[in-house]
Amino acid sequence: MEKIFLLCIEDQREVLNAVVEDLAIFEEAFPIEECESVAEAITVIEDIYDAGLHLAVVISDHVMPDKNGIDFLVELHQDERFRATKKMLLTGLATHADTINAINNAAIDRYIAKPWDKEMLQGYVRKLLTEYILESGIDYQPYLKWLDQDTLYQKLRKY
Amino acid sequence: MDFKKRLRQPSSKQLKAAVAILVPLFILLIPLHWIPIPGLTVVEQRVIAIFFAAALLWVLEPIPIYATSILVIFLELLLISDTALLPFREGPPESFGELMHYKDIMATLASPIILLFLGGFFLAIAATKYGLDVQLAAVLLRPFGAKPNTVMLGLMSITALFSMFMSNTAATAMMLSILSPILREVDRQDRGRVALVLAIPFAANIGGLGTPIGSPPNAIGLNYINLSFGQWMLFAVPFVVLILLASWLVLRRLFPFEMKEIRLKVPGKPRSNFKTRAVYITFGATILLWLTDVLHGINSYTIALVPVAVFLVLNIINKEDLKQISWEVLWLVSGGIALGLAMERTGLAAHLVHSIDFSGLTPALMVLLVGTVALVMANFMSHTATANLLLPIVSALGVSLPRLAEWGGSGAIVLMTTFACSLGMSLPISTPPNALAHATGEVNVPDMTKAGVLIGVIGLVLFFLMLLGMNQFGFFAHI
Repeated sequence: MEKIFLLCIEDQREVLNAVVEDLAIFEEAFPIEECESVAEAITVIEDIYDAGLHLAVVISDHVMPDKNGIDFLVELHQDERFRATKKMLLTGLATHADTINAINNAAIDRYIAKPWDKEMLQGYVRKLLTEYILESGIDYQPYLKWLDQDTLYQKLRKY
Repeated sequence: MDFKKRLRQPSSKQLKAAVAILVPLFILLIPLHWIPIPGLTVVEQRVIAIFFAAALLWVLEPIPIYATSILVIFLELLLISDTALLPFREGPPESFGELMHYKDIMATLASPIILLFLGGFFLAIAATKYGLDVQLAAVLLRPFGAKPNTVMLGLMSITALFSMFMSNTAATAMMLSILSPILREVDRQDRGRVALVLAIPFAANIGGLGTPIGSPPNAIGLNYINLSFGQWMLFAVPFVVLILLASWLVLRRLFPFEMKEIRLKVPGKPRSNFKTRAVYITFGATILLWLTDVLHGINSYTIALVPVAVFLVLNIINKEDLKQISWEVLWLVSGGIALGLAMERTGLAAHLVHSIDFSGLTPALMVLLVGTVALVMANFMSHTATANLLLPIVSALGVSLPRLAEWGGSGAIVLMTTFACSLGMSLPISTPPNALAHATGEVNVPDMTKAGVLIGVIGLVLFFLMLLGMNQFGFFAHI
């Protein structure tokens, strides 16, 4: 099995813990990296890239002390190395302009408002993981248990 | 965090890879006379090493199975071809054997069987791109009504029909996508859910047998027995129908329905534009041409280029679609063909079979035995890899044993092995369709195994009887 990571960025420790707890169902196959700042996240994704591993989904908060989440996601989107990585914004404090920026310039794949619904978060991550695996040409079979069936069917039907 | 530590987890892959490298290396390096096969040549010894490398890699799977296939072709070029590394080109003249021509090895990548499959892929890609699969499913499912048992029969028939022309995995994915929304409305306790979910992968595996292009093991089989498209379907389709009915009965019995009614909703709106019509017509014409080769004289392999040419000319399949072609399936088959070619051309297959004493076995018992071996292997590893490994040996067995002639000779035993390869479906790892069904969470492994073993054994026995009948009617005398 390839090493495929999820990354969560959130400056409030207790919120970060809550997100990670909700995503624990994926942990067995997809290690979750927890970052409390954008700076920390950048080091981690550089490490992941250097080690030749996969970064499947980034879940980021918006308002954070060092740098805001959307700016980070815009940079990530422009970074050729992480073209396939799926981006999710998890925030309660994005303005209308922020949201437009996130969609147009970061091409975020999902937007979830805080407080979030656990099932919805899990469902989105499941879908995005499935898309990442299929689009990256990774053998989906070892990960079947964690993937979204409908996304899988739509893609496999084409072969 | 403990990021660096996570990277250093030991992997069982490395151990498997080491075994798959060291064992063949040992065989390559030992003195020739250590191997107890009379008349063996140095070149044949190298083929044995390549065979073991392929077998271990396909069974243990430290690398993808298609990578193993390419490795087979590459190693053959390096070790046993006339472009081999210089030190490998010469040896003791009395026991060196013959090197193969490198062009023959490379030609396996574009063998007629590969082009036949390419034609099949074009049909499948065009059909799904223009939504023919969903439209057809919508129309064909209607007559099966709403009684659970008949709906299951309908799902099975259509899955089998589709998987005759598209990959088993694609047929399964498409039909599961029709089934899964309905399952959400059915009572969780109803055992009939298991029947419905298992019906689809089983029908896909079985349906793949119906045509030469239905499933890759068929391609490997065709490499050893010369059959036209129509000749194949003549016995394969009746077999598919029979075993499909048998599976339906088995599933009904094992997992009876409590639900009274089940309504499938297929969102397929028929489209009618030039390209959709062109796909329908080309699809139909290709099949018709395949079935009437006696009348026009063009063989199946050439006809396979009809959809390729038509779809590219009409821009129905464009360059982006071309990238969707499952090259890994084509190369997986090529590697199998290359392995068989090397075993046959160097004389290894014949030497191998002559060195084993089969006199205690009657021909019928032998056919059943190879079928059983193939069935067991196919349950635990890729169907195509099983065919790749077994068929070169089985075919040599068939040719070199005169007693088998009364039983249909090489043809019967090759077909038995080929069909048995597709009947392995008792575990989630047996085939991708099984894995998809298991991933729905509706079916546990014991249920799948119970039904899968039963259907595998019934299929094996049924095909054995069918071969008996075919032999009685002189089928093998005519090919």
